[in-house]
Order: sequence, then C-alpha cells, then structure tokens
Amino acid sequence: MVNYNSLTVLLTVPLVASMLAWFIPKGIQRLYAVFSSLCILALTLYQAAPVLFASTSAAVIEHKLAWLPEIGVSLNFRLDSVSGWFVALNAIVAILAFSLKGVWYRKNPRLFTSLGFFLVSALNTAFLSADLIVFYLAYEAVFIPMIFMVGIWGEQAKATAVFRFFLMSFLGSVLMLVSIFYLVNLYHEQSGIYSSNLFDLIQATAGKNSPNLKWCFIGFFLAFAIKVPLFPFHGWLKDVYTLAPMPATIWMSAILSKLGVFGFIRFVSPIFVESSQGYQGILLTLAAISVVYAAFLAIRSNDSKSLLAYSSVSHLGFVMMGVFTFNPGGNASAILLSVGHTLVSAMLFYILHLIQERQTDLGLETSHGFAKLYPTLFTVFFIAVLASMSLPGTLNFAGEFLVLIHSYAASALCTIISGVGVILGAVYMLKFYQQLGFGKNTTVTINSNTGAKDLAGYDLVVLSVLVLMLIYFGFQPEIFLKGN
Amino acid sequence: MSELEPAYPWIAFSMGILITMLVSVVRIDTKRPAQIFALLTLVVTLFLSMSVNVETPQSLFNGVFEISALTTTALSLLCGLGIFFIIGTSRYLTKEEIHLSDYYHLLLILILGASVLICSKDLLVTFIALEVMSLPAYTLAGFRRNDSRSNEAAIKYFILGGVVGAVFLLGASFIFGATGTTHLSEIYTWSQKAQGDLTLFYMGHILILISFLFKVAAVPFHFWKPDVYEGSPTSVTGIMATVMSTASFVVLARILHIADFKSPELAPYFETLKQLIRVAAVLSLIIGSAIVITQTNLKRMLAYSSISHTGYVLLGLLGSMNQPDLIYSVWIYLFGYSLMTCGLFVLVSQSEPKLDAGVELIDLTGLMKKQPFNVVMWSLFLFSMAGMPFTIGFFTKYFVFISSVNTGEVFYVVIAALCAVVSAYAYLRPIALMVMRDADPSAAEWKGSVASHSVVAVSAAIVFALGVMPNALIHLLKGIPLQH
Repeated sequence: MVNYNSLTVLLTVPLVASMLAWFIPKGIQRLYAVFSSLCILALTLYQAAPVLFASTSAAVIEHKLAWLPEIGVSLNFRLDSVSGWFVALNAIVAILAFSLKGVWYRKNPRLFTSLGFFLVSALNTAFLSADLIVFYLAYEAVFIPMIFMVGIWGEQAKATAVFRFFLMSFLGSVLMLVSIFYLVNLYHEQSGIYSSNLFDLIQATAGKNSPNLKWCFIGFFLAFAIKVPLFPFHGWLKDVYTLAPMPATIWMSAILSKLGVFGFIRFVSPIFVESSQGYQGILLTLAAISVVYAAFLAIRSNDSKSLLAYSSVSHLGFVMMGVFTFNPGGNASAILLSVGHTLVSAMLFYILHLIQERQTDLGLETSHGFAKLYPTLFTVFFIAVLASMSLPGTLNFAGEFLVLIHSYAASALCTIISGVGVILGAVYMLKFYQQLGFGKNTTVTINSNTGAKDLAGYDLVVLSVLVLMLIYFGFQPEIFLKGN
Repeated sequence: MSELEPAYPWIAFSMGILITMLVSVVRIDTKRPAQIFALLTLVVTLFLSMSVNVETPQSLFNGVFEISALTTTALSLLCGLGIFFIIGTSRYLTKEEIHLSDYYHLLLILILGASVLICSKDLLVTFIALEVMSLPAYTLAGFRRNDSRSNEAAIKYFILGGVVGAVFLLGASFIFGATGTTHLSEIYTWSQKAQGDLTLFYMGHILILISFLFKVAAVPFHFWKPDVYEGSPTSVTGIMATVMSTASFVVLARILHIADFKSPELAPYFETLKQLIRVAAVLSLIIGSAIVITQTNLKRMLAYSSISHTGYVLLGLLGSMNQPDLIYSVWIYLFGYSLMTCGLFVLVSQSEPKLDAGVELIDLTGLMKKQPFNVVMWSLFLFSMAGMPFTIGFFTKYFVFISSVNTGEVFYVVIAALCAVVSAYAYLRPIALMVMRDADPSAAEWKGSVASHSVVAVSAAIVFALGVMPNALIHLLKGIPLQH
C-alpha cells in the first residue's frame, strides 16, 4: 500500500505553532501549547493510524519533494511501522511536556512555547526523513531548542552541563556527517549521480565490507550511542537531566534518546549490514553493561531526578539489546519497548514534577512519607513504578520479555547479564517509591498554595490515559510486532 | 560599443573614489557628504557590475585584466559588503571619534584594490593591486590614534605587509626568470611543456604562495592577525575579515592553478604542493580552533576563528587542485563566510567604547534581558560560524567537506570535523553568556543605531534564507570556473 498523502503537515504545523506562540498572550501560553499539541497529536494519528494499525509491517506512506536538486538532497518523508510510532510518541510527549506548570511559563513563556514546537517539528523531520542529509539537519536542529531550554530555565551551574551535552552530541553527529558524505560519494562513484536517499545508500553499500565502511559505521555508531546514551558515552547525561527544566528532561529522556534508537534501526542496520553483524558481540556487551551499570548508578543516587535519569539509561540498555539483534523481530520488540519506555519515563518525570510542585525536598537519604498526603498521586505513581519494573500486564513487560527472547539467540551471556538488570530495576524503583511515599513524614513542608492538593483534574486525566495506554498495549503487543 | 564597456564598473568605481576624495577635501568640516558619495559609488558600481554581460569571459589591457562571472560576482559581493559596513558602522565611528571623511575614500580604495586583485591576470598587476588594497588598510588600522593597540596594529601590519610584498615580488621575479613572463595565461601555456630552470619556477611559486598564505593568515603565517584584528577599529577589522580575505583567497586559488600541473614535468612538484596545502590547512584548523576557545576578547576570538575558517577554505582549495570544477565549494565558503562575518562585526561594533579595554566576551553577559532581538542575531551568526543547520554556515562546510571527500581527502575531513566540534565550544560560549547569566553591571552597554540594526537584520535574513534554500546561490556559484 503506497499512499502519497502529504506528510509535510507534521513538520509545518508545529513550525507554524512555534511562530504563532509569539502572538499569543503570555497568560494563556500553557493553554495554547497544550491545545496545539493536542491538535498535532490528532493530526499525527490521522496520518499515522493507517500504517500503525495495519495488519502487516509493509504499510508505508511516502511523500517526496525536491529541495536541493544540485546535490541530490530531497525532502523524502517516509512514514512506516518504524517511524510511525516515534512520530506518535513525539506528539504525546509534547502534550506532557507542555502540560507542566513551572518557571518556563513565568519567565519568557513565549520563547518556551516557541522552542518547544520547534523541537517537535525538528523531531518529526528527523523521524520521517528517509534522506540522510535532511535527517542530519533535523538531528542537529534538535540541539538548538534543547540548549536554550536548559540554558534559560535550567537550574544553577548549568553552563558546564550544557556544553558537555552539546559538544559530545555534536562530536558524534559531525562524525556521522562525514560518514554520510563518504556514503554519498560511494553512491556517486557507482551511479554518477549524487543522492543521499536511504535506499540509494543501502544499494551503494550492499554486499560490501571495506575498512572505510567500518569507519563510517563507527561514525554513525558514535552519533547514536551518545544520543541514547549507551555505556560508556553517558557522561553528559546526569548533569543535563538533573539541571534541565522538567519539560526538557521529559523531552530528552522520553524522545531525544529514541532518536538514537531510531537511527540504529532505520539507518545503521540496513546500511552497514556487514559491520553491524561483525560488531554485534561488542554492541550487545555494551548494551548489557549499560543495563547493569546504570542500574547500579541509579541505586547509588541520592537525588530523585538523577535516579530516574539513570533508570532511563538502564532501560534504554534493554531497548538497545533488541536493536542490536539486527533482526526484524528484535527490532520490532525494541520499538515496542521504546514506546513503553517513553510513556513510563515521561510519566515518572511528570509525577516527580507534580511532587516537586508540592514539596521542595526530594532527597532520597531520608524517607518522606508523602503517600499519606497525596493518596491518589501515589497510587498512579505506584502503577508507573510497577510498569517501570516491567510488571507483567504492562507494555514494558512485553517489551523486555520479547527483547530478551530475541537477544538470547544472539548472545546468551549478555542476555543473562541484562536479565540481572530487571531485578536491580526493582531494587531502585522500590527504594525510590518507598523513600518518597512511606516512612515518618518528618520533612513534610506544605507549600502555601499547591502543597495540600492531591492529584486531581487535568493531571489526573493525563496520567490515567497514560496508565490505560500502558496496560492496553501491554495486552496487545501484536500491534507492534505485526507477525515479526 | 567601446571595448572598455565591460570595465565600466571599475571605471565608475575609480571615478567615484576621486569624487569622494574631492568632496572630503572641500567639505572638511563634515563627513556626511563623503559618506553619501562613498555609498553612491558603491551602489552604482554594484548595479553596473551586476549588469555586465559576462557570458564569455573577456580580457582587457593586453590580457592582464579579466572580466568574467567570477570577477563581476566578486565585485558585487565586495560592494555589497562595503555598503553594509558603511551603513552599519557609521554610529560606531562617531562613538570612537574617528568619523572622518578620509575614512571613506580610503575604504573605497581598499575595496577597489581588492576587486582589481581578483581581476588581475598578471603578477605585476597583482602586486600593484595588492599594494592598493593594503596601503589603505595599514592606514585604517591605525585610525584610533589615541589607542596604543591601534598604533601597534597599524605598524605591525605595515611592516609585515611590506615584507610580504617584497617576498611576493621576489617570487614573481623568479617566475619571470624561469618562464620569461609574468602573465598568468602565458605561464600556464609555458607549463604545458615546461622547460628551463624548473627549480627557479618552484621557488618563485612557493614564495608567491607564501605571501598570499600570509594574507589569508594560514598557519604558520597567522601571528599578525589577532593583534591587527584587536587593534584596528571594528569596522576596519570587519572589512579585513571579509573584503580583504575574499580577494586574497581568490588570488590564492589563481596561484594554486597557475600552471598546468598535470604535465609530467610538474607532476612531482604538484604532489609536494598539495602536501604543503594539506599541512597549512590542518595546522590552521587545529591551531585556530584550539586557540579560539581560550580567547576572552571578542575580536581576538574572531581572529582565531577566521584562522580556523582559513583551514576550511584551504581544504576546499585542495579539493579544487584535485578536481578543478570543485572550486565552487571555495566560492560558496567565501560568500557565506563574508556574510556572517559582516553581520558579526557590525554586532561587535555596537558595543559602547570603554577606556583602555577592547570588547570582551564578558560584556555580552545578560544581553538577553537588555536586547533579546540582538541575542537572536548573535546566536544566528554564531551558529552559522559553527556550521549548524538552517544557516549558510552549514552549507559552506557541507560543500568543502563533500568536495574533499570526493577527491579522497577523507582523513582531512575528519580532522576538520573534529576541529568544528572544538570551535563550536567557542561559538556557544558567547551565547551561553548572553542567555544563561544575569546582567553584570560591569558589562559594557550595547547600543546600535537603527541603520546598524537593519544591516544586521538583513544579513541575518540572508544567512538564514540561504541556509534553508541555498539553491540559487549554489546554482550561481557552480557556474563560475577559474579561468586560466
């Protein structure tokens, strides 16, 4: 099924929303942002639903526009069972990120909304583009709003964190750019025309295994491994996650990290078939180490936000295990787990923000006993914690289970090691929940205006929808697998 | 139809200079008339140069003066830059109390010299044009008479420039000794069956090469640049960084294509020559981008940044040595770099003067609160310098990289890419200061006239527009070969 429907609206509508934000009164920016991102979600689902809920994974929507004919770069958008989920997730995460109240709606709210929608547009471009140069452009463009968000609304001492984040990501992506040039040139040598289209480049490298291609593989690998991040490229992560304003943290952990996952599935495994098979052992080992190492870091964390940051890395390690199986089944389960991880990690950060609004001290050295104060909030929180621990019945369980099944065939040892991560995940998540929720509430200080309220109203609706999605998809993983 | 018709822009330019000079002598009490006549001269020349028919390249004055797409396009660019600087820095000159009518005719002579330098097809004419360009530059560099750094800049520039002029003459005389001519196209014809004292030719070639590597400040001939940039009035520094380096790079391209190096006699020397350019490019990249991150003075920072940009252009020239039709990557680089540098220097000139101190990075602290519009402009230009997407800076690097990859210089592209990451830190730092810090009371004030704001906005608009739709520019510059 090939349908030449216009996919460009998924880029242009957020971009227009980003510009319109400057004409909306400051007081209703949050309303505007949430409403617009709901519209974007509706639009995305309208475009993506035929592909996402098709019975086979062959359903594709393509849209092609000429852009730079001189150098063979075209706006070649492709919505299939890989990119479709990420585009949908992007719209969902945008709603969550825009829903949070905070300093970003008090200080320069227009800039925040504008940057946010620019980010959504750039991410959609990155996920949809089947042209490597356009993908690279969008991939780089994602940095710009991120830098400004952390820079303007982040907490103190953020400059170093921003620099480290930017420079490490830039290092990876620049090397990827050089690799793209090499591939483009390779195709040019074979066919005499310039093209950076994914399928042309796949054709150019098919059946080849030169040392230069290995270097190109490393260029791509570095870019995406830093983005995910995979051990040992996680150095930038903790400071940025903890110092960033909460919407930026949600964006980074829930969707920016998926850019790396997406990049591996979309570009690395089809273009570098030989190299990815050749390095599979190393890659799986790195993923397994990520799972366990980040879990230990999470156990050692004394700060709620950094605990969640490391738990995110640990779970992304599972996703990468699925990606590095380099077979359709493993990739499909990695996408499944990505969806679960996106929803759960966005939810956890969202809940953390809600607690932060009510209470200032969230250190994990002492127990706080907030559960008595906010019973509904902590019930939802508990569901999220269980989902994060991949309790059967949630999407994350289906994902981790399937990933481990597929990776067992590739490397039993790595699978066993990362299996330990599931147990460690229970350790830190339960500790996290226990320290915040139970114990003597000695540290409770009620914030004057919001401190006493339990979860209700809008936030309750949002979180309930997420919980329902997690459980519904948990029982219907077939939607993602499509027979793989 | 006079045979001089194609040269009308240059003739009109020269007459305009004479009128401006006369006006400045007659109305010595005010500088306004000189300014207006200078602008008029540039505007008229701009229109004339755009209307010259250059479908077939022509040579005038016994073939020493080339009129082709290259030279008229370059003249248009130089005039455009001149207009931008005259409009944009008028208030700066008043602030610095150096707003004298002499400034304008010196500036015009400098631009005329630069444009004749580009047209020149004879080593002696090149020398004369070089001096016509440089002598006003020495004078203009010392325009801030009361500042010892400006005096230092002028003297340093003058002495070193004089030595380099002598080196060029020596090289030209060696070439004359070897080939019996100073005419570039005759040298090319000679080289096709090179005979006689080849060593003499090589020595002469290396000497004239060195003199222009000095002019473009390639490492190891870069040491004059930071001091001269820092000491000169900002408007003059801007002219040096754009007009003078563009002209010098075009001559450098001519020097590198002076002979038919494919001929068997010259082939071994050609390999050495390429090696030399590689070394100069890599050194400029590494030293430029390593030192740029340590600078605290804005103009010194821009000086080192331009040294690293010299490295990129040299890479482009290297590509064109391997494959002459790739020279357009150099043209695109020069065009884009001139535009963003012009914008940046006009921005720098908006700072209020302080006693005995230049414009420091610290002075940008907290600009977000005071001038949010200017922060957007700064960020756009700095991102463009760093090669981020949606700015012309991305495409300038893009074409240099891809032409180098095309010609098999992948290793040097990787080095250039890594240097781009390093220098990205330097470009991000001012943005971080502007956005992340609160205003510092000791920071300088920034005030621009409406004129200078509009110049900045126009060049920012071009930088952005070409970053999104570079088609027209690529098409235009791709069709400009280097004539022999």
